[in-house]
Amino acid sequence: MKRKLFLGALALASVLALTLTLFSSCTDKAAGKKKFSSYSMDYFDTVTTIVGYEHSQEDFDRVSDEILRELAEYHRLYTIYHRFEGLENLCTVNELSDGAHRTVKVDRRIIDMLLYAKEMYTLTEGRVNIAMGSVLSLWHTYRTLGTDDPENAALPPMDKLQAAALHTDIDKLVIDEENETVTLTDPQMTLDVGAIAKGYAAERIARSLEESGITGYVLNVGGNICSIGTKPDGTKWTVGIENPLGEEYLAYLALDGQCVVTSGSYQRFYYVDGRPYHHIIDPDTLMPAERGYLSVSVVCEDSGLGDALSTALFCLPKAEGLALIESIPEADAMWVEASGAKSYSSGWAQYVKE
Amino acid sequence: MNERKKAFPARFRNDMILIGVLLFLSLCLALYLFFFRGKGDTVKVTVDGEVYGVYALSEDRTEEIRDGEDYNLLVIRNGRAYMESASCPDGICVSHHAIHRDGESIVCLPNRVVVTVSAEGDGAPDIIS
Repeated sequence: MKRKLFLGALALASVLALTLTLFSSCTDKAAGKKKFSSYSMDYFDTVTTIVGYEHSQEDFDRVSDEILRELAEYHRLYTIYHRFEGLENLCTVNELSDGAHRTVKVDRRIIDMLLYAKEMYTLTEGRVNIAMGSVLSLWHTYRTLGTDDPENAALPPMDKLQAAALHTDIDKLVIDEENETVTLTDPQMTLDVGAIAKGYAAERIARSLEESGITGYVLNVGGNICSIGTKPDGTKWTVGIENPLGEEYLAYLALDGQCVVTSGSYQRFYYVDGRPYHHIIDPDTLMPAERGYLSVSVVCEDSGLGDALSTALFCLPKAEGLALIESIPEADAMWVEASGAKSYSSGWAQYVKE
Repeated sequence: MNERKKAFPARFRNDMILIGVLLFLSLCLALYLFFFRGKGDTVKVTVDGEVYGVYALSEDRTEEIRDGEDYNLLVIRNGRAYMESASCPDGICVSHHAIHRDGESIVCLPNRVVVTVSAEGDGAPDIIS
C-alpha cells in the first residue's frame, strides 16, 4: 500500500512538473495575458515606451494608441518650441506682441500644470523654476549650435546669462484660475517647463488609465516611469536604473503603482573644448549643475513631483538634498556619484527588488 | 493471497510506464527550452516606427541602417548589440553601452532609430529609467 501511495505521488509530481514546464514556457502567462511594448519619439523631444499585458496585440494597440493620443495633446499644449494652428499653448504664451506678453486664455490642463509648477517652486525653494525660460533658451541655443557644429561649439557668455537671469521671477507669472488665463507681466520673461511637464503629463495619463479601469501597464516618458497597478499575476514591476558607465544596472526596483524619475548628466549634453556640458542648469550658478553626481533617481507616488524633485536634488549639495527628500514622507531618492558610489534616503530600501 | 501478490507487479508496471513517459516528456521539453529558446533572442530595429529588420543576437553581424542621408552602424557581436557609429549629431546612441537583456534598447532620437532586445530569461527589468 505504501509503495502504491509513493508511486501515485510520483505520478502526480511528474504531471505537475510537466504542467509547470509548459506554463513557464509561455512567458508570464497569468490570466492568459502576454507582454507587449511600443515606442514613440514624437513627443516632448524624447522617447516614450509603453509596456503592458494584454490578451492580444490588438488589445494592446488600442490602449497604447489612446495613451499616445493623450500624450500628443499634452505635448501640443506644453511645448515651447512649436505653434499649432488655432491653439494657444506655452509657445504662444511666451510670444511677445507689441513688446509685451498678451493675456492668453488657455486650456485647463495648462492652468493646472502651471499651478503645480508654482507649488514645486515653493517646495524646492526655487531649484525648479519654470520662469527661467530666458536662461534656459540661451543654453538650448548654444547646445543646439554646438551639437550641429562641434568645431565651433561654445558656452553661452556669462554676461548674457546674468542679464537673462534678471527676468526669472516666478511671481511675474500671473494665473487667473477663474477665467483660465495666463499673463507674463515681465516682457523679457519666458517659461520653460522642461523640468516638470513630462512627469506631470505622464502622471495625468497614468491616472486617467486607472480611472478607466486599466491596469498592468507601465509608461516611460523620457525617464519618467509611471507604473499602473501590478502585473496581471500580482507581481511588481521591475525597473532597472540605467548605469551610464557600464552594462550592469545601478539598481533594480520593484514597484506597484509608484513612479520613478531619474535626472542624469548623461541624458543630454554637448561638448565644448572636449568637455561635456549637460542640460540641468543650476539657478544659482546659471551653469550645468556640478555637485559631482552622475544621476539622481526619485521614487514617489506622483511622477510630476518626482520629475521636479530629481531635478532639484541634482542641483543641491547632498546634505541639503537629503534634508529636502526626508521632509517629504512619500518620496525617496538614490544619489550616484561620478565614482559610481551610491547613497540613499531612509526609505529607499523598501523599493529595492530582492 | 498469492493472486493479490501477483496483481501488484502488473499495476506497478503500468504506473511505471506512465510515470516514465511523463518524466521523459517533461525532460524533453525542459531540454528544448533550455537549449533552443535562448537562441531565439533577437534584436529588432525600427526606423520612424517601421520595422527595419529583426536579427538573431546569437549571430555576429554588422548592419548599416540607412535612411536617406542618415545612417547608424549596428554591430552584433558575442550576443550583444551596440552602435558602432552614426551620422547623428549628438552621438548618444554610440556612447550607449552594448545591450543584451530583454527589453533593453538603444535609441537614436535624431535618426529616429530604436534597437530593442527581445530575450528569454528571468531577471531582466520590465522598463528602464
